[in-house]
Amino acid sequence: MKTLKYFIIISAMFISGSAFAQKITKAEVQVNGLTCSMCSKATETSLQTLGFIDSVTPDLNRNVFVLSFKADQQVDIDQIRDKVEDAGFSIGTLSATMTFKNTLINENGIAQADGKVYQFVNTKNTTLDGPVTAQVIDKDFISSSAFKKKAAVLKSPVYLTGKGMIEGKEQRVYHLSI
Amino acid sequence: MRYTLLTAVSILLMSCLHSYGQELFVFTEPASNMPARAIGVRLTNEGILNGGSMNRTVPELMLSFNKKLMTHVQGFFSDMDGKYRLEGGSVYAKYRFLSIDGSQQHLRLAAYGRLSTSKRPTYSEDINLEGDNSGAQAGLVLTQLLHKLALSGNLAYSKAFVNEDRQLTGMPQPDQLISYSLASGYLLLPVVYKNYNQPNFNVYFEVLGRTNPASGKSYLDFAPAIQTIINSRTRIDLGYRFQVAGDIPGRYNKNMYVIRAEFNFFNVLK
Repeated sequence: MKTLKYFIIISAMFISGSAFAQKITKAEVQVNGLTCSMCSKATETSLQTLGFIDSVTPDLNRNVFVLSFKADQQVDIDQIRDKVEDAGFSIGTLSATMTFKNTLINENGIAQADGKVYQFVNTKNTTLDGPVTAQVIDKDFISSSAFKKKAAVLKSPVYLTGKGMIEGKEQRVYHLSI
Repeated sequence: MRYTLLTAVSILLMSCLHSYGQELFVFTEPASNMPARAIGVRLTNEGILNGGSMNRTVPELMLSFNKKLMTHVQGFFSDMDGKYRLEGGSVYAKYRFLSIDGSQQHLRLAAYGRLSTSKRPTYSEDINLEGDNSGAQAGLVLTQLLHKLALSGNLAYSKAFVNEDRQLTGMPQPDQLISYSLASGYLLLPVVYKNYNQPNFNVYFEVLGRTNPASGKSYLDFAPAIQTIINSRTRIDLGYRFQVAGDIPGRYNKNMYVIRAEFNFFNVLK
């Protein structure tokens, strides 16, 4: 079994055409604070100004937008949050399909890939390889009441700001739940 | 179908005081702003059926600089004093300082101010900064959206600028006024969304009041309205306001209908 795992990992490393060790291929964003289609249209138009977004598919009744991304560009989920807020609304939930290539989650639940730092809140000591659906649980990616509850459970200053000292410098730390 | 719709609208309008509707109110502005970097263009015609019939045309440009701050610039043209002419203009700015969102609901609180000028003669304690008076206004607006229902409350203070050349001798003169309103809107159609091209149909009921704190004179209007939104960008309003209590002699906007078209262009400002 272990041999098979290594075989897959090594094959993936050779086969990989993409330059990224981690890639967000899809995201589902549920937007809070709106019901009308004019509001949805404003949100969609705002999201479409992001260069890395390939398409936006709305579900007008649930206020959910399914985003697909351009293959050759890195996705910045903080910009997705900013664009939703520019339209006058806020993110209720954001779940992203992230493809990892042999990425280690250490004993503290931290993984690093392509210069980005991910803090997993419900897993550690494992290696991610392949697509994972993760929910971003940072401030302004969940409702403010949900954020307060999570903050009380996690008791982490890094969670409160979304920034932490990693390898001697302050970096954005994305908190993920899988 | 048409009668069912008319009946439904009538019932909604009559059952009002606990209002209904989405929040693109016809006679007041909500606490919510346009999306950042959007432009809106409005053309409003007000028909005042007060003895005779008079018309005012209001072209209006709306700009939102960011998610919190937006402005409206209006021009006023009317035949109130005989010949149809440009009678003045107004600048309105709104700052949204509180926004709490939930699933299909929100609460917003905004502060706003208005500066207006008008060439019209003054002959009433009433102050209408959208065409009839020169003056300034400051106010607060609170809007709550609960799925298909929107509720909004407004409180503002207006002060007229004194211009003796425009005062009609022997007539009451504008000085200050407190405005207050409760507005409600309800998204009637579509019941279930299929796409952006489906027309939306909203019904509104607004209660608009004004009091001169110096004289104690007041009036209260009811203002029902209907609205359709086409292609999620273009808005057409039809509303009517009428006085139900109080009076201020010579008041403006008594028995007034409003017809308006609004076009929105998202993400056009850099």
